[in-house]
Amino acid sequence: MSEKVEKGRSKAAPFIPADSDAAVFLGNPHIDNLMSVVIALGAEIWADRQRLKVVERLLETEGKATTAMVEAYVPTAAEKEAWETERMAMVERVYSVLSRDTSNARPFGEERQF
Amino acid sequence: MINRRSVMGLFAGAASLVAAPFASRAAQRATPRANEMFQTRDDLPPPPKNPENVPGTLAPRGRNGRMERLPEIDLESRMDFLRSVRTFANEVMSPAAGKRADDILASKGISPDTVMPMQDAIALLQDDPVVGARTRAWTSVQQLTWKNIKAECEDNADTYLSEMEAVDNRGPGTLELNPDLEMPDYTRHEIHIQPGGYVGNDFAGHMYDYGTNGFYTGRNDQDALHMTAAFGLPIPADGKVRRILDIGTGIGQLALALKERFPDAEVWGIDVGGPMVRYGHLRAVERGMDVNFAQRLAEDTRFPDNHFDLVTSYIMFHEVSPQGTKDIVNEAFRITRPGGIFYPIDFNLKNPFPRTAYGQYRRWWDHRWNNEVWTIKYRTNGLPDLVRAAGFDLNEEGPVALPRFGVMNATKPA
Repeated sequence: MSEKVEKGRSKAAPFIPADSDAAVFLGNPHIDNLMSVVIALGAEIWADRQRLKVVERLLETEGKATTAMVEAYVPTAAEKEAWETERMAMVERVYSVLSRDTSNARPFGEERQF
Repeated sequence: MINRRSVMGLFAGAASLVAAPFASRAAQRATPRANEMFQTRDDLPPPPKNPENVPGTLAPRGRNGRMERLPEIDLESRMDFLRSVRTFANEVMSPAAGKRADDILASKGISPDTVMPMQDAIALLQDDPVVGARTRAWTSVQQLTWKNIKAECEDNADTYLSEMEAVDNRGPGTLELNPDLEMPDYTRHEIHIQPGGYVGNDFAGHMYDYGTNGFYTGRNDQDALHMTAAFGLPIPADGKVRRILDIGTGIGQLALALKERFPDAEVWGIDVGGPMVRYGHLRAVERGMDVNFAQRLAEDTRFPDNHFDLVTSYIMFHEVSPQGTKDIVNEAFRITRPGGIFYPIDFNLKNPFPRTAYGQYRRWWDHRWNNEVWTIKYRTNGLPDLVRAAGFDLNEEGPVALPRFGVMNATKPA
């Protein structure tokens, strides 16, 4: 049960917790944490970029952009398609290094000599 | 219904508006690819007209067909972004990791198509940074997805609870909750690391709806997979479909889809998770659909013998223990009428073992760290044999209700 739900209103039952927070895939839990950080930061940046796009659109079409107008804005199908394209392009620009071939990676001092 | 929902999308877009710098590789990436796993029909009916102003619900931000927008643009945007990173992990990082795995095997003189024990595959691959980065990225996306939607629900708990409470006793369909239900332990896990699992958080239904839509990378925001399944299921030879039960219905996506296909049938959805069926009922009420939900065990449905013309499930059995599987199959036989059909949809069992070392590694990760507690045993516990042993005539050849998934077309002998 969520801590934020009064017991009398809850329909939840006891559960068996997962322990996935303990998973280490990159050799050091802090490095694993940093992956979560950079993905979360990307999401925060995109949220700002998305909001800016809506503001720009509203200024173009309505001449003003209030918070309520930004929240209520329903994008066109074309806008959604373009936003998704731009979002994926951002993801590729930022994260593609994660899948680079590291088979030749060497610690400093053990690099190939010229 | 949740007051504000997401617009994640399957809109047909105007490619001409795609920004020029991104028009090549990125444009291809943004266009949903023919995913190997998730394939849907293209002849599905449009969403039903949604009733407006259902008592107890708040003014929505808008709706994309069957799905309401999330409540704030910032949350919606973060969830969109996480979906894109998941797509990137699936479509770019996974192939890179698979290639890296092949290279590692080759460096050790092992053929890439060698089928090896799971622990050997893990030992070979677990320390590689490319493999690890993909695993880490996918896991982080999963964790962040749950974190975002959980925070939204719990920070606005009163609002979301009030929405459900307002329609708990409202039709057209019914809702039965059973807070004293004795649940088998296997049902209490945090499957897919969803916070609280299906039973342990009051917003399990909300989280499942938006979280799994992220998992499907937008391909199911119109319940297209459930609709495809519902419209692809076989019916009894006598053509009579008067009563339908969907077991392990979750939030009732297949149950509602079945109601769309069989509008005159009495449709039930049962699930062990009270919050899941409660949210499912909310969805049904908001759509004006006469579907009945109940918090009951699939092992003990409490329906009469020979009651249903069609008994279904959608990706339930791979979340069930071996004993639970056996008990559920026997219960399904009891409540299916002679000539009726039992068709559980789940992952294809024809190839139960991954064909590559990387596949073995991923299966272990999915089991151990994505908390797919029962899925490995599902692959080997002999579900088809259990279906036959219960008394069904089993046809494993067709029809295919959902492409790429298993065929389990079981008829109770007349």
